[in-house]
Amino acid sequence: MAGSTNIDMSRARGEGQLRSQGPVIKVEHLTKTYDDKVVLDDISFELARGRVYVIMGPSGCGKSTLLRMMIGAEAADAGHVYLDGVDTTLADKKTQEEARRKFGVLFQSAALLNGLTVAENVALPIRQHTDLLKSTIDLMVRLKLELVGMGDAAEKFPYEISGGMKKRAGLARAIALDPAIVFYDEPSAGLDPVMVGVIDKLIKDLTSKLGITSVVITHEMPSIFRIADEAIMLFGGKVVFRGSPQELRQSRLPIVRQFINGDPEGPINAPRQLAELSERLFGSAKKPAIDGGGTG
Amino acid sequence: MSILNESVVTLGALVNKQLSALGGTVRFGGNAALYALRGLISRRIYPFHDFIVQVDYTGARSTPIMILTGFLVGMTLVAQTTPTLGRYGPQELVAGVVGVSVLRTLGPVLAAIIFAGRVGAGFTAELGTMKVGEEVQALETMGIDPIGYLVAPRFLAAVLMLPCLTICFDAAALFGGFIIGVYNFNISIEDYLDITKQFVFISNFTFGLFKSAVFAVIITVVCCYKGFSVQGSAMEVGRATMQAIVVCLVTIIFTDFVLAFVYNILQKYDLVQ
Repeated sequence: MAGSTNIDMSRARGEGQLRSQGPVIKVEHLTKTYDDKVVLDDISFELARGRVYVIMGPSGCGKSTLLRMMIGAEAADAGHVYLDGVDTTLADKKTQEEARRKFGVLFQSAALLNGLTVAENVALPIRQHTDLLKSTIDLMVRLKLELVGMGDAAEKFPYEISGGMKKRAGLARAIALDPAIVFYDEPSAGLDPVMVGVIDKLIKDLTSKLGITSVVITHEMPSIFRIADEAIMLFGGKVVFRGSPQELRQSRLPIVRQFINGDPEGPINAPRQLAELSERLFGSAKKPAIDGGGTG
Repeated sequence: MSILNESVVTLGALVNKQLSALGGTVRFGGNAALYALRGLISRRIYPFHDFIVQVDYTGARSTPIMILTGFLVGMTLVAQTTPTLGRYGPQELVAGVVGVSVLRTLGPVLAAIIFAGRVGAGFTAELGTMKVGEEVQALETMGIDPIGYLVAPRFLAAVLMLPCLTICFDAAALFGGFIIGVYNFNISIEDYLDITKQFVFISNFTFGLFKSAVFAVIITVVCCYKGFSVQGSAMEVGRATMQAIVVCLVTIIFTDFVLAFVYNILQKYDLVQ
């Protein structure tokens, strides 16, 4: 199908939108504080193109805050985020808009507009940012929906499809403008294990076939080991681990070990009230399990 | 002394918060108006289809309730005013009283209150739910301004539709009053129409329509702003909707009071009848 279109495949692989040869994302001394709580404490890292990065960590460690800062949805107290060499924290509105075209985002809830069909949702960014004919846009939308296996649900409304289908439709919309980077916020949240596997495979396939950089925020360990080229673990506002899934598995860092094994006891403490409640209810010396359901 | 200091600081913080909210609302309204106008030229701001959907939702679907309410208000007004008026003079004068009060104040204000309850509450709940569901953030990350895409078509539709709905309300109220006046109080049709013509001027009607356009701006801006300010859970949506309606009602009545003075000044300088 792709071969029958006139779409520039270098652009379709996300390459046409990148200017610099350096890291596709560079986070430099990023700091964020809510009230008195330091959520991100002088974080710095670089992400190379064409790889899957997983940002993981316990709930409340600042994963989602970091994501919101990387996509420009939240301002940092200090530090910089460079997308393809452009400092988006200091950029004017026009430059920020240009930077936005370089990435797509799959939100935790998929965030499809309920008043639009799946196809219209995918067409929305294309219509907004290009002057293409309707027939061309329709063709591009069909192509993206086929890529995520949603060709049959194009005319359905978001409330008519399942959670997994919503995620795939959201992913089709995220890649509609052939971005160089795709951010995924908890892509497997609320899905059954089979659908998690489908989404994981899609992330891997899209990254390798389209040459994009994928940044996945998650704390699902099976997904992390399946998709990550590199994992970055946040804890206490700092990057405490960075390495391949193999290195992650072999890590002897107590924080990493506790997180991988899901141990209730360890350096990652559950909130004191929960521990006290648990002791009152069960009279056990064991602390309750770490909450794994938040967004970080 | 420290209690006094604390009170001053608290009051200052409160005033600062309210003023910044007011400033935010005004800036939001300015952007919405600008986008609504730009959207008439550029198809990039919002799809024309969305504007038509909003015209249907705010206008066509609100018409039956406006006509029904207007009819009942007109009938009630005549039924309650005529006996009292009859004690001090000719009861036919009720036609003039009802005509002026409906066209100048009751029509625009009551239509705006119904509009706020039906349409404005819907705006807040809808946009608040979209905010909670990350749809607003999704638009931003796609480089689409949510004010232009979501608020502008609602703004334009409301500003065009509320005056139309006010006309429906006015017509229904005048007709309801006429029916009760003629059939219940035996005022002759000729007298009723004649008195109405003597008392009611076109400026009463046009100023009423101007008021309703102002009320439409207030309702849309307040309700959409409140919807966009929702953060966190779905419970916040309900709270924001309630706050939006309360602010709308108070602002509409206060604005009506201010505009009544403006009308009097215009009358003084013979700019209106």
